[in-house]
Amino acid sequence: MKTYFYKLHKWGAVWNYAALLAMYFVPVAISVYLNAWPTLGALAKILPPLLILYWPTGVIETVTYIPMLGAGGTYLSFVTGNISNLKLPCGLNAMENAKVKANTEEGEVIATLSIAVSSIVTTVVIAVGVLAFSPVLPKITAEGSLFKPAFEQVLPALFGALGAGYFFKHWKLGIAPVLSGIIVLLFSPTMGVGILMFITIVVSIVGTLIIYKNLWLPEFKKMKEAKKK
Amino acid sequence: MTDFKESPIMYGIALAVIAFIIAQSLFFAIKSWKHGKKLGITSETLKNTVISSVLFTIAPSISILVTVIVLANALGIVLPWIRLSVVGNLAYETVAAETSLGVLGGSLSNPVDNPVAFSTIAWAMTIGAGFPLFYLPLVCKKLQMKIGDTINKNDNTKKLGDVLSAAAFIGIISAFIARAINGCATTKELVLDSAGNQMLNEAGEAITKNVITESSGVISILTLICAIIFMLIFTALCQKVKKLEKFESFAMPLAMFAAMGCAILFTKVLPAELSTFTWYSVGGVM
Repeated sequence: MKTYFYKLHKWGAVWNYAALLAMYFVPVAISVYLNAWPTLGALAKILPPLLILYWPTGVIETVTYIPMLGAGGTYLSFVTGNISNLKLPCGLNAMENAKVKANTEEGEVIATLSIAVSSIVTTVVIAVGVLAFSPVLPKITAEGSLFKPAFEQVLPALFGALGAGYFFKHWKLGIAPVLSGIIVLLFSPTMGVGILMFITIVVSIVGTLIIYKNLWLPEFKKMKEAKKK
Repeated sequence: MTDFKESPIMYGIALAVIAFIIAQSLFFAIKSWKHGKKLGITSETLKNTVISSVLFTIAPSISILVTVIVLANALGIVLPWIRLSVVGNLAYETVAAETSLGVLGGSLSNPVDNPVAFSTIAWAMTIGAGFPLFYLPLVCKKLQMKIGDTINKNDNTKKLGDVLSAAAFIGIISAFIARAINGCATTKELVLDSAGNQMLNEAGEAITKNVITESSGVISILTLICAIIFMLIFTALCQKVKKLEKFESFAMPLAMFAAMGCAILFTKVLPAELSTFTWYSVGGVM
């Protein structure tokens, strides 16, 4: 088990840093090609509000996703992006279907496979869409188009279907996080899902710890007694 | 000079990036498939994982494609295509482009014709989004090992690990469900004077306003409810009818498509004042 994990982390790190180079290759190539480099002054104005908003979210997302997706899934998702709205639900759904759990070797295999497939499909759909359908697509999603309402509701449809089984099985655990999400949105309706997700996860975990206190309280008491001795 | 955003060189850059992403994904897919076989996971389970992941991904991918097309108006099609293929994120790329254009004087509704502005946007998008790739390899291994050691201490901690991972999963879904029930998204737009010129503040920066672009309302809640009902029906059918058992992995993408179909149906069938009712007025200023 450990050998596979070590290998995954090695492959992950190599691909990860290669992706970083590939990513920075794009603006460098654009600047060289156009002979147009950004001024530091403009970047100094643009970046602070973006970084204040997105870098902490990035850290929170890392801590959230690693336990859920495992090493392979996390490395791959962070390179290909669109994690919360696609890769994460896809990996979780695959593990649920294959009846394997996160943090096991089987879970690692299924999550990685499903996220790899999802990344290929997304890349192909976007590439084909851009190369072949870009003149037609705006019409499909334009105001008044038959399909517009469907594409506006992808996320409620996706997370309703994904959550159905879980909420049915663990309805007690679902009430507090959904309610807390709705209440937070009452005060801050435009809050990004990355931050909102952190709040609902914390509420969900605290609620679960209260409901299942018999699982951790004896262990916690033992640890406390051992420390006293 | 307006064609530079979609020149053959830009397409060449995009194809190089796409080739990299496909290569990485294939590498991990092959490694995990082989290791899955070694662990005794059946070919059927692995195949089902592949097929259900393909089905699952199609609709959200088209949504991402729509963002590419929206951004293409200002940035040409190639840069948004690249950015949404590597570490891309629906929300971030749009906000990064809007913020950059806000500072440089422009908006997503007009094409960017200035090469310096274009390269500045490419840099802003990359620097903001690339950060996790710096530190992920430094923390991922340690964090995963620590979690594994804590969970595998004894039977109680194993059970607790299972329950907590279900709780984290429910927490993630709850955020999206809460947004479908009560949330909205905004975009920054330039404030124009009566003559149609952009207004500047004392520092000479363009004044912007937050315009609501989408909001939850009747249709988002009905779609959510339909998705839940379809999923429960499809799962129950697959579990009760022996012949349908092998299709259980496809219940989720099918329920998603069915709920999206219902969104179309409700928009057509319900009176307009009901189907277009949202908590926050789309097009209004927040």
